[in-house]
Amino acid sequence: MFANVAKSRLLPMSLPFRYFGAAVAFNVAAWALLLANAGELEGFAGGLGPVFGALHLVTLGVLAMAAIGATLQLLPVATRQAVRALWAVKLAWWLLVAGAALFAYAAATYRVLWMGPGAMAVVVALGIYGVLLFLNLRGARGMRVVVAHGWAALACLVALAATGLALVARYEHGLALDHAAFRNAHLVLAAYGFMGLLAAGLSNFLLPMLAVAPPPPARHSYVVLALAVAAIVLAVLGWTKAGALLGLAAAAGHVWLMERSLRARLRAPLGTAFVLVRVGWACLLASLVLAALGGMPALFGLLLVPGWLLTFLLGVLQRIVPFLASVHALGGGRPLASSLTPPRLLAAHAMLHLGALVLLVGGFAVPGAAAGLAGALVYGAFFVYVLLKVRHHDIRPRHQPATA
Amino acid sequence: MTFDRAISRQLHEEHAATLALWGRVEQSLASGAHDAALMREAAAALAGEIERHFEFEETQLFPRLAAAGEGDIAELLTEEHAAIRAAAARFMALARDDPPRPELRPVAFELAERLVSHVQKEEMALLPALDDLLDAHADRELQLAYAS
Repeated sequence: MFANVAKSRLLPMSLPFRYFGAAVAFNVAAWALLLANAGELEGFAGGLGPVFGALHLVTLGVLAMAAIGATLQLLPVATRQAVRALWAVKLAWWLLVAGAALFAYAAATYRVLWMGPGAMAVVVALGIYGVLLFLNLRGARGMRVVVAHGWAALACLVALAATGLALVARYEHGLALDHAAFRNAHLVLAAYGFMGLLAAGLSNFLLPMLAVAPPPPARHSYVVLALAVAAIVLAVLGWTKAGALLGLAAAAGHVWLMERSLRARLRAPLGTAFVLVRVGWACLLASLVLAALGGMPALFGLLLVPGWLLTFLLGVLQRIVPFLASVHALGGGRPLASSLTPPRLLAAHAMLHLGALVLLVGGFAVPGAAAGLAGALVYGAFFVYVLLKVRHHDIRPRHQPATA
Repeated sequence: MTFDRAISRQLHEEHAATLALWGRVEQSLASGAHDAALMREAAAALAGEIERHFEFEETQLFPRLAAAGEGDIAELLTEEHAAIRAAAARFMALARDDPPRPELRPVAFELAERLVSHVQKEEMALLPALDDLLDAHADRELQLAYAS
């Protein structure tokens, strides 16, 4: 389907880093939008407006963006398959950046007619990514647990795009559908399905690698995956409480497997990144408990998106970015990942981000959003720090394919 | 991590031993202990690793990786070998002293991070690729070459 196959599993540095850079920028934009409209957070029930816009800046602009950038580099390593088309990776980035920005802007300002083009651009970007993911998984060798999670995440991505377009069609064209059911399915497919399964699958391979620990036993991971898929199906079909309880069992199993793996690690310090990862896991479990109990939608949303997905992602990304930058380094005596990691900046970010979560959960919207914005800016400074270090050391991408 | 080829399994076991040893070195240094015997053990293991393990990879494995279209990964691993050799030479010179000199500590930390990072990349990229590239005959030949 796609020509111009990358020769190596190691992508040019500019490809994953453009996704990470956009995610960092969207993170700042999301918190800024939330801060400017913090008063609307308390009564937020899912309708259009600035909070909805901020939510989609996070889900599309930060989470999907960074997940795509990370998987495009990490999956080829796990599956022993090169990325099929570098031009498609670039095109998907442009479409996702433009689409996420337009969609969030239109939703935040109630310009429903602009939501359609934004959503279409996002769906095309996700479609390109979906094809790349499909091609990668189809030829995958090795790391079958990661691959199985990838297939499940891909199935959720397809259903996610379909429900998303249906919801936009309802806003724009008055398409008759059960709005609550579709919105619920869209949320489950996005957060627990596509993002959650991708995160869980890559965690099986990435977190043990970062911590120098043995990966969890494959048969246990398959059981957790089967539980998670069953939970997602139940929740999408409307059996929310049953799905939440089954999902809670799957999430608890996943966290237990990962913690058992981390306990067997060979290097003692895990660092700030794993504090964020563990807080993310706690929020995942709490969100499922709340879903099983029902009610408190704002708290559920806080635990789910900034609490679990965003916190987990920012934790993992602060390890991946210096690691990949050091892999791509030329000159300067091949810098260590630790020399590209500013510990004080990352500690400050962790304090601000976790402080923002606590404040928001406690109902202090303005100081919470302000702390979140400060944390996002500090995280941006971390990203710029890595880029400047790369430039300062005359570190350039290892290779740039002649055509892309 | 499980591997199909015997040579991959053997290198994996050596990686695990390296990680365990340098994990102990890091923990010892982090605790402020001055374990001269552990430093000498690490230096001796390092000398063997560089002579045997690195040379085998560079002469037997990386060319196969490059021929399979993974030249940039082979180049990356070769460059890391050079950086590890340079740090190892400094470490081995300092590890002879008892009590250890203060300069040993930063060199040991650097070396530990370089070794761990290198092992991570070989476990992710080199060993799985060998499983794909080698047939049973080539696997046996490489085992014999490594044993000799």
